Amino acid sequence: MKYDIRYKPAFATIFLTLQPGEQIFAEAGAMASMSGKVAMDTGFFGGLIPGLLKAFLGGESLFLNEFTNKTQSPQEIVLTQSSMGDIVQTQLNGGSLCLQPGAYIAHTKGIKVDLQWAGFASWFSGEGLFKLKLSGNGMIFFGAYGGLSEKNVTDSFVVDSGHLVAYEPGIKLNVGLSGSMMGSLTSGEGFVNKLEGSGKIYLQSRSMGGLVKFLKPKL
Amino acid sequence: MKLELLHQPDSAVAKVLLDPQEEILAEAGAMVAMSSSIDVSTTLRKGKGGGVLGGLKRMVAGESLFISVFRSGGSAAELYLSPTLMGDILPYTLSGTELVIQSTSYLASTPGVQIDLGFTGFKSLFSGESLFWLTANGSGLALLNAFGSVYEIDVDGEYVVDTGHIVAFERTLDYSISKANKSWAGAFFSGEGFVCHFKGKGKVFCQTHNPGSFGRMVGGKLPPR
Repeated sequence: MKYDIRYKPAFATIFLTLQPGEQIFAEAGAMASMSGKVAMDTGFFGGLIPGLLKAFLGGESLFLNEFTNKTQSPQEIVLTQSSMGDIVQTQLNGGSLCLQPGAYIAHTKGIKVDLQWAGFASWFSGEGLFKLKLSGNGMIFFGAYGGLSEKNVTDSFVVDSGHLVAYEPGIKLNVGLSGSMMGSLTSGEGFVNKLEGSGKIYLQSRSMGGLVKFLKPKL
Repeated sequence: MKLELLHQPDSAVAKVLLDPQEEILAEAGAMVAMSSSIDVSTTLRKGKGGGVLGGLKRMVAGESLFISVFRSGGSAAELYLSPTLMGDILPYTLSGTELVIQSTSYLASTPGVQIDLGFTGFKSLFSGESLFWLTANGSGLALLNAFGSVYEIDVDGEYVVDTGHIVAFERTLDYSISKANKSWAGAFFSGEGFVCHFKGKGKVFCQTHNPGSFGRMVGGKLPPR
């Protein structure tokens, strides 16, 4: 499958070419435009029950769209995200990657999407009750609000809540305060993710929570 | 008239240099700065027909457009125009081909371009979305703005665009609104809602981001007013 991520980093958008028989799965609403010959179907995200859980508790869409090229010639499709910011493609070769709510955009065949319980602590810190775990062999696309930074964590690392986009499953997430209770309240950092273990993580340079917090008193 | 586009693509602004006694029309509110010698007047454009009731209905539906006319006096003048949202500006030169513009994408036009409201090609089907459409005819320049970047598709055959991603399209194309999915349930749940099917030959200008879905994402997290 050929792809090109254009208008990086502020307005990153995925331009995909589907070869005959090829398929891409994408988050509901991600399709901006496509050739009229691409077939589209709608299914549940990760099956009906996990899909329901995800919709009601995880705050994301219950549905996943499937785009297939059933013709004999290459067809184009353009996928994007709701927020402004960068998009990254990664190839999974038997490994897996966990995505925070809102980051997922699309994946190819061969990738399995699981919904996993992230815990109340995660929800409390604004990271959602569930996380998506993608594993298998194939490509995945995910996006951020702002720029995306990739980092290798080897022992432990602290990330402000709302800035973590994706992480490898070798990393365990704990929610904590950035300092003492009083210090956390006054420093403006509030809750943070305390990561332990080793693996790759992706950070976003802005947070939707930050934008919302900025806008709230201005309404 | 001379046009310069600055700060593309994320924060595009149009710098317009007017010769003496020249005019440019722009969406009201688009003016960032201008020479003090420029004379400004504002007109309200409404769709044609429908009488008083039709006019009222359009006003309620938000289907009216305040257009400001900027006129230079005896000397050359300068004017800066920008849209509200982050994104690019696209200059489009009209010469005979009619252009259909998504109303929030209209930024400005030269006097030779006739802007009309009330293009009802597929208005009624955009349920829930307060989109309406303008048509541009004549000859001259139209400035369009996008949420995000603009990409141009040279349609030759069939092409599908999510309605929230359309900036403008040439009327040489046949268009029809349809569900993105074959089934109604699929169309409702797919998140794509209605899409526009274009057929034939012509250009479609798409924006990389959908203002509606960005608004819903942020708005959904804000307390009700």
